[in-house]
Amino acid sequence: MASPLQSLAFEGGGNEALVLRDFRLARRAGVRGPGASDLLTSHGLPADIAPNRISDQSDRGLVMALSQREFWLLHPDAAASSQQPDSAALAAGAWPLYCQHSHAWLMLSGEPKAAMMAKLCGVDLGDGAFPLGQVAQTQMAHVSVVIAHHDYQNEAVFSLFVDQSLAEYAAGALIDAMSEFNQSGI
Amino acid sequence: MKIMHCPLNGPRNISEFTYGGQVHTMPDPKTCDDPSWARYVFYEDNDIGIVREWWQHTPSSYWFIAERHNGSDDILRTYDPGELFTDRVDFQTPGGES
Repeated sequence: MASPLQSLAFEGGGNEALVLRDFRLARRAGVRGPGASDLLTSHGLPADIAPNRISDQSDRGLVMALSQREFWLLHPDAAASSQQPDSAALAAGAWPLYCQHSHAWLMLSGEPKAAMMAKLCGVDLGDGAFPLGQVAQTQMAHVSVVIAHHDYQNEAVFSLFVDQSLAEYAAGALIDAMSEFNQSGI
Repeated sequence: MKIMHCPLNGPRNISEFTYGGQVHTMPDPKTCDDPSWARYVFYEDNDIGIVREWWQHTPSSYWFIAERHNGSDDILRTYDPGELFTDRVDFQTPGGES
């Protein structure tokens, strides 16, 4: 998958401790409203996910709950939808959220990722305070970010969602912070 | 670092929050006069003591209510607005859509 942030890439040695990947071209969609959980249930997806939790539905992707009325469906291995955004309700009390258009998706992996993120973010992202399945809506390098801790290809990763217009800035800040750990890439 | 407790996201740096004004009882927008509406939108009581205020956790766009002592700046309690507001309010403009 080609990265729109290629200009920030630089060569890794193949044994990176930290790797930053660009998932801006991967599929993600959201649903919001009082009827959002009913809509998920009607599609056979779990709706009893507590706010700020993410649930892996294997080949059906990841379901991330940002509140009791807002869910994002993430598909890291599927291409982004090219469908035209539509503001019509999906079902009674459930409206689409075009998080694919609003938020860039970056993915950070590697053992020291929590230690590195401590340079940019005030929330403790260590395993003790931020276990797998947890989501934090906070700030990173002074911009709003959603951080999700989940598995991807048998490895624990942080998915980072920032405003599309801030993607290049956020990736630059991350790569700068990663440089202390002497490893990087996108 | 000053910490505020967000009812949805937990304790966070105060820099993650945006102030949204005092919580007032809204006059009926259909019947109130312009000065009453302006007072509701722009004016605040200037008493010292515990005030009830709107705050937003900016990264999650979540609005909630905080009770704060505006003399000591101690935040005493934060809670979901659903505790105070249970009904949806739809606004109608004359001859327009809601």
